[in-house]
Amino acid sequence: MDLSVPPDITFVVLTTITLLAAIMALQAKELIYGAISLAISFIGIAGFFVSLDAPYLGMLQIAVYVGAVVVLILFTIMLVRREEPDKDESPETGEGAAGLWLAGLLAVSIAGIAALAGPNLPATPPEANLPISQLGPVLAGTYPVPLIIMALLLSGALLGALVLAKVDK
Amino acid sequence: MVNLPTTPADIIPFIIAVVTSHTFITLVIFPGLIHLTVVVMFLTWYERKLLARIQLRIGPLYAGGPGGILQPIADGVKLIFKEVMIPYKADKPLFLGIPLSLVFLGALPFAVIPFGQHWVIANLDVGLVFIFAVTSLFPSMILIFAWASNSKYPFLGGLRSLFQQVAYEIPMWISALSVVMLAGSLNLVQIVNAQQKIWFIVPAFISFVVFFIASMAELERLPFDLPEAEPELVAGWFTESSGAIFMVIFLALYMKLYLMSSLITVLFLGGWWGPAFLPQPIWFILKALVVATFIIIPRGVYARLRVDLLIKIGWTRLLILALANVFITVVLLSTGILSAWGL
Repeated sequence: MDLSVPPDITFVVLTTITLLAAIMALQAKELIYGAISLAISFIGIAGFFVSLDAPYLGMLQIAVYVGAVVVLILFTIMLVRREEPDKDESPETGEGAAGLWLAGLLAVSIAGIAALAGPNLPATPPEANLPISQLGPVLAGTYPVPLIIMALLLSGALLGALVLAKVDK
Repeated sequence: MVNLPTTPADIIPFIIAVVTSHTFITLVIFPGLIHLTVVVMFLTWYERKLLARIQLRIGPLYAGGPGGILQPIADGVKLIFKEVMIPYKADKPLFLGIPLSLVFLGALPFAVIPFGQHWVIANLDVGLVFIFAVTSLFPSMILIFAWASNSKYPFLGGLRSLFQQVAYEIPMWISALSVVMLAGSLNLVQIVNAQQKIWFIVPAFISFVVFFIASMAELERLPFDLPEAEPELVAGWFTESSGAIFMVIFLALYMKLYLMSSLITVLFLGGWWGPAFLPQPIWFILKALVVATFIIIPRGVYARLRVDLLIKIGWTRLLILALANVFITVVLLSTGILSAWGL
């Protein structure tokens, strides 16, 4: 028995859920309701991925965004007491310049990689319903440049997080 | 495909066609709703009886049936008729809604668990990732419930539960990685089919041990039951739950116990494969119940771990062991030692 739903209805339902939850996330008075709405919105986006024949991406969207990012947000909401923000928020001398330097370096390296390797990218995207076993070869073989740029961005973000979390002794 | 009825005479054949369809039977009877409910109720009785035997007690006896096997029904009726106490200033919608969603999340992964070659609700290509995604929602749900109770001990228990489950998720799924490499698929049906000649517990024994220990921590079973440590936190994150709310949480926890035992059966113990004198689903359920027994027994045997030991074991032992077995699997696969078993 075929229980599948026409794609239009799926799209409308998913869009409604995602957008309503996103609006709720911004408008909720209680922060924790905002976080829950954000989770629902992420699940809606995962639904989009599944309906677009990318179930692997959809599942990872749930695992990473709902399972990890929303947990972090919940932690922050629950553990950080609401305090008045410090008036003096300007970075110490040198930190701002170093940040600019790093950002510039990152931008230049990304631009360099893209300029060197960009023309080698294939013009046609891979077929839509790619089997998972082909995901690795395609990502590392056909599209190494976006992968490297992602890695650079992530390591930049990681360094930034380390700097922010560092406690001066 | 069943056509919708157009005349009144078509209604009866339509209903018969729906009820006998593969979707309906797998969804509602087996391995869906009815089977899940029965097994989960059996598990609650089984745990009490088993622990009683370990501690030289008799356990449930008077509720009827052999060995008081109808005890879960009596428990359920009792809990339904109890008053549901909602703590002062608790967040009411979340306090009532999260337990229901916990049951839903506990039942959802069974949609992809294959109880036999054809006894599976949805033969999903990314079945393992689906279970990973769904189970990763548990910790945040628990933390939200603990927060919604607006009470000190549930909140402490919820934080502990979150830390523990997030920490042990990592070694657990890395150890599942070597199974995925051996089977060459994330589809649970194909993973079981790849174990027809040799169960993955043999080439991936370290992974099996790591997965077993990590799933015990995920289930908050002794010796990892810090989130509900009775002497410290009353009953952990569900301290404030009472009556029907408690029953629903209880069901969700046992559903997760059955889920983890089924998952270990699928990944390491050859799923439904066994000598042909029993049908495939029976083999599967038997194996899952044996695994559940081994998850339950430590509760009657071991003491609770300290928090620092828990974190140390998770990050410095299990994670390393899981990664080591991934490496071993790469060596085994690339040298072709396992080719005799079609891997």
